[in-house]
Amino acid sequence: MPILNPASVQGMDLRGDWYIFFGAAMFVAVFVYALILYSVFKWRKRRDDDGSLPPQFHKNPPIEITGVVIPIIMVIGLFYVTYLREGVVDFLKPSPYATVDVAAYRWAWQFRYPGHNITVNGTPRNPPVLVMPLGKMTQINLYSSDVVHAFWVPAFLFKRDATPGYTMHFDITPTRTGLFRGECAEYCGLDHALMVFTVKVVPVADYDRWLASGGTTTT
Amino acid sequence: MKMWLTSTNHKQIGLMYISTTFFFFILAGILSLLIRLQLAQPDQNILTPHEYNQIFTLHGTAMIFLVIAPFAFGLGNFLVPLQIGAHDMAFPRLNLLGVFLFIFSGIIIFLGVFAEGGGAFAGWTAYAPLSTMIVGTGAGQDLWLLGILVNSVATIMVAINFVVTILLYRAPGMTMWRMPIFTWEILATALLILMAFPSLACVVCELLLERHYGAQFFNPAHGGDPILYQHLFWFFGHPEVYVMILPYFGVVTEVLAVFSRKPVFGYVGLVLSAFAIAGLSMGVWAHHMFTTGAVANGFFSGMSFLIAVPTGVKFWNWIGTMWKGKLEFTTPMLFAVGFLFNFLIGGITGVMVASPPIDYHAEDSYFLVAHFHYTLGGGALFAVFAAIYYWGPKMFGFKLNETMGKANFWLMFIGFNITFIPQFFAGIEGMPRRVFTYAPTGDLGWLNAVSSIGAGIMAISAVGFVLNVIVSKLAQEPVGDDPWGAGQTLEWATSSPPPEFNFHALPPIRSERPVFDMRHPELAEERH
Repeated sequence: MPILNPASVQGMDLRGDWYIFFGAAMFVAVFVYALILYSVFKWRKRRDDDGSLPPQFHKNPPIEITGVVIPIIMVIGLFYVTYLREGVVDFLKPSPYATVDVAAYRWAWQFRYPGHNITVNGTPRNPPVLVMPLGKMTQINLYSSDVVHAFWVPAFLFKRDATPGYTMHFDITPTRTGLFRGECAEYCGLDHALMVFTVKVVPVADYDRWLASGGTTTT
Repeated sequence: MKMWLTSTNHKQIGLMYISTTFFFFILAGILSLLIRLQLAQPDQNILTPHEYNQIFTLHGTAMIFLVIAPFAFGLGNFLVPLQIGAHDMAFPRLNLLGVFLFIFSGIIIFLGVFAEGGGAFAGWTAYAPLSTMIVGTGAGQDLWLLGILVNSVATIMVAINFVVTILLYRAPGMTMWRMPIFTWEILATALLILMAFPSLACVVCELLLERHYGAQFFNPAHGGDPILYQHLFWFFGHPEVYVMILPYFGVVTEVLAVFSRKPVFGYVGLVLSAFAIAGLSMGVWAHHMFTTGAVANGFFSGMSFLIAVPTGVKFWNWIGTMWKGKLEFTTPMLFAVGFLFNFLIGGITGVMVASPPIDYHAEDSYFLVAHFHYTLGGGALFAVFAAIYYWGPKMFGFKLNETMGKANFWLMFIGFNITFIPQFFAGIEGMPRRVFTYAPTGDLGWLNAVSSIGAGIMAISAVGFVLNVIVSKLAQEPVGDDPWGAGQTLEWATSSPPPEFNFHALPPIRSERPVFDMRHPELAEERH
């Protein structure tokens, strides 16, 4: 469950939103299910029913207004939470430690490290590896050369579409070393399901050595 | 046969819609079983990727354009004139043309799979530039586009007919504020169609122009913009979601009231909330595009949250309708309460994905797939069954078997939840939608296996429903005007099925439930 254990600083911020919304959703669900179940059991027609009509009330303005006001208050609160966190994640911080140009194409990925003459290509059956330094901010520049794709690393709780004609920028600061699965999330035709890659987060020293060697040393 | 081809009677046309959507429902259901079969285990090769991609495209297209929306048009066609005391729809010939075009659109879309190179496989959203690439997408994609174009024209026709009929053809005494909630919801739906569907017709034409005549609307190499396609598509696509749910809000409202033996609670609130939902739904389309990074996420997020308010009003008033009633759990009532359970999950997960920080993970994952199946499958389709069981006696003159109906409900309810609850977790674990296979990582293997078992249970339930129709048709016990003994609205004041011109005589209409007033003159009071 990536939402329990995100592998990036941004993912931790995003997780906070999941928790708050999940809590709010559970509160609403328990409250409404309780009312429905209470009605279903309490007011069901009994076997010894006398055939008389139940009370024929049409409305109850104070109750009805309550049913408008409570959702409005909740919605304003949730909007505020969203607004705060989205700003944090979408804000592009200056001077990233690493920069990677990611090209999405049918049905694979290409990772280029500008200034270091490193290009990593992959195929559907042999997914490319995106090497990132631990604890440092990596800026991703994402674009597509054919149809719409999306760059998704579930462990970072984040995806961004790669749209032809646009270049998208976002930051990732990994907090754990290891291998993480990445995939294309926007349907792009025949082998969409096989358009995967691997994110490899390594200690900074290893990353620097890998970069200096032109991407030839194993990290 | 000639009667079916030439009759412009709204009830015939309504039944033509309903029977055709039922046929397409069976086909789309079989497609969904093929999807669940392929995904039951990781790394399976039961279907090729190309076959799988055509199947999910056709499944989504059929359920949306040929089942859930048009079933409501059929139901509306049958019921709206009866509920407002009219003898027919305002434009009977337009109505007949509309149903023919609808059937024709379904035939075009389905027969596309026999085109050279196979049928459309760009998904029901047909995103450009995937859908504009000629290489690999042949006549199948063109037939799909033509089918959708014909479908959108047919839908606009039926919407015009509903608006004019409801505004101008009401019986004396049937003021707007005495109309049944179902009729109100159809009015809101029809107005929404008139605002949204022209955008679909336009965008489909643009795709055809781009595919064949060198137009460059969506090609960035020549100054076009793929994001423009998404705006135009979702400007239709999001209101379409409400076109597929508003009529079913109406169905559930009426079923809950009748089987609680009470008037609709908060009538004015229910009407206003329908129009609030319809209005807001025109301003939320780009929440399908949060992850593009090219839209104002804050605005569309806030607007989407606001829809929770009128939807909350609906739930509040549905509970108010049951409150202190005498609830009788017939099959339609079970499906209506099942709708409340399922749709609530669709609603609260809808609020979650309306928040961009959550959507950045959930978008285009199985979390989203589960979310919208809870609104359209657990919501709309459960209301479809409620409607068939509830109004079936009025349409066909016989009741469906209640014992088999209850088994139908419980299998469907259990099967549905077993199918779709695991998909929330599969999505959170990182399973994208529209994939023909997945790696056996984490819990994806068993989550998908459970989901497929649930789909099997739903299939058994659907077969049980067909058996129920056959058994009940053979038994065919004739029913009276008001087989449930608790009808409130005008359709229960005439025979089952109704005569050609609907009513020999109308009861006085002094409130939103004239048939109840007729049965209980001591309680009748002038309202609105």
